[in-house]
Amino acid sequence: MIARKISVQRLPAYWYIYFLALPSVVAVSLFAYFPAASGMYHAFFRWNGDYINEFISFTNFSEAVHDPILWYGFGVIALLVAFNIVKMIPSIITAIVINRLKSEKSAYFYKVLFVVPMIIPGMVTLLIWKFFYDPNAGLFNMLLKGTGVLPLMCKVDSFFHWGIFINGVNPIWLGDANLVLPSVIFWGFPWVGVVGVLIYLAGLQNIEKSIYEAADLDGITSFKKLWYIELPLILSQVRINLVMMIIGTLQDYGLFLVLFGKEGGPNGKAMVPGLYMYVNAFVQQRAGYACAIGILLFLFILILTELNNRFVRIDK
Amino acid sequence: MIAAAVMERPYGERGGRVALASKKLSASEIGKHAFIWLILFFSFFPLYVMLNISFKTNAQFNLNPLNFVFPLHFENWAIAWNLVKDYIFNTVFVAMSAVALTFCFTIPAAFFFARYKAPGSTALWYFFLILMLMPGVANLIPLFMVMKNLHLLNSLFALIILGIAGAQVVQIYILRNFIEEIPKDLFDAAEIDGAGPIRQIINIVIPMSGSIVSTLAILQFIGVWNDFIMPMVLIRDDKLLTLAAGLVKLDGEYVKLWGQMMAGYTISSIPLVLIFVFTMRLFVKGLSSGAVKG
Repeated sequence: MIARKISVQRLPAYWYIYFLALPSVVAVSLFAYFPAASGMYHAFFRWNGDYINEFISFTNFSEAVHDPILWYGFGVIALLVAFNIVKMIPSIITAIVINRLKSEKSAYFYKVLFVVPMIIPGMVTLLIWKFFYDPNAGLFNMLLKGTGVLPLMCKVDSFFHWGIFINGVNPIWLGDANLVLPSVIFWGFPWVGVVGVLIYLAGLQNIEKSIYEAADLDGITSFKKLWYIELPLILSQVRINLVMMIIGTLQDYGLFLVLFGKEGGPNGKAMVPGLYMYVNAFVQQRAGYACAIGILLFLFILILTELNNRFVRIDK
Repeated sequence: MIAAAVMERPYGERGGRVALASKKLSASEIGKHAFIWLILFFSFFPLYVMLNISFKTNAQFNLNPLNFVFPLHFENWAIAWNLVKDYIFNTVFVAMSAVALTFCFTIPAAFFFARYKAPGSTALWYFFLILMLMPGVANLIPLFMVMKNLHLLNSLFALIILGIAGAQVVQIYILRNFIEEIPKDLFDAAEIDGAGPIRQIINIVIPMSGSIVSTLAILQFIGVWNDFIMPMVLIRDDKLLTLAAGLVKLDGEYVKLWGQMMAGYTISSIPLVLIFVFTMRLFVKGLSSGAVKG
């Protein structure tokens, strides 16, 4: 539909159309723009969220830039991003395998099946995984003991003197400073995100049938098919997912809040920047400092989004 | 742009290899199916564990963690239901209200942007679009303060308002694209007959946008169902917690009777599973298009 042009002269007869957008504008101004502006404003204050409110200009920011805990958090994020890139591979492979199925019916059937784990509330999945890691009742320790892997690890440990796996003691995966990050990285195995799979599938479906036929005539191996046909064609989806993943890793701290609470896990090993912001705001009563951390996170995300936009544009 | 790239094609129309399909399963086809089943096994394993343990006492679980053992303890479910039912009702109330009210905001706004090019409408459009860049993480504390100043702390209305405000941009963006696809003649004819914008929305836009509206509604519903940081921050009263926040609380306080916990998790999942069963196709479509905007 071509939008109807309402010129300034005709505005008196059409003034009321603005009221169509007014409720949304008000909602967004009050609950998105105002908080954002207020956060920026308070980042320059020593603010406890209530009565203490003192202008300190850039002190919060200079403190944040020199805060070892915050930088440690960004380091954890960098580590998680590196592993999350590897964890994208299962989704890509699954989508390609589903797309290569000859039967349309089973492709759709699998697609529906893959949605099922996704509709389980995220918190339920999270808590089940937490249960897997439970030192006494958890399935991981049962599995490791049952298969004899744990005694083996204990032997390796006593050889290298790590002091992590000790005979007769159940490893406390989420409570041991040495095991926290590996546990978080393994979290969610086999790492097939249904959203990712569906997005890749949508991209793969744009591949012309004739390309596959030509490839078959040339007798191309399935690895070459992957490398020369499928991956190039879903590259833009991979990029979108990559950027979404990085942004998500930077700003989602819900998992860490539930698992590790306000201390950020044993020895603060899992204190990611988002959680640090939360702790400053709601535990330490340093809301101004928390706002400054929030703005630093926002700047990081803005830069990453901008970088992505450049990349995608060059490619197209 | 992105939306077009991930648009779902209806089943059967895939630019697929129907012509190549043969009845006989080759070795490579079997390999593919086996691979998918292996992945599916791991994806469903947590759900199996949840369902399985939900019928057990701790003693049964310790003896036999993974098999189904008799007697099944249905009383786990009854106890769990009493633990989570308030949370579920709260969440359904918040999610339903937020979804319904959001459309009262977004459909007229999307109609405005799709139908009229009035002075200032482009500026207004960017006013909304810029918000897509703004991550929620920086807004948490100021939002808490806004709610505090509005005396909405410890109230479900705060969560409804946040649900409405949070969904505006994405919905307006998608609905505008959709309304622009509707033939202009329909609106012109209605206008000649004397129908104003509200009439045009009620009689033309709403009847035509059933599928896109349901898809957006489902996505928003899931979003509210899963949200827990805001409820944890805003709600003090245990009776008013929404589901995800309530489960965190139960996990923290409860003496670990795994059977009851798992029964509670299962009950918490049932409403979304029901929605899924009835709206399977919209679900698949919605997840692949809407998730990109997240």
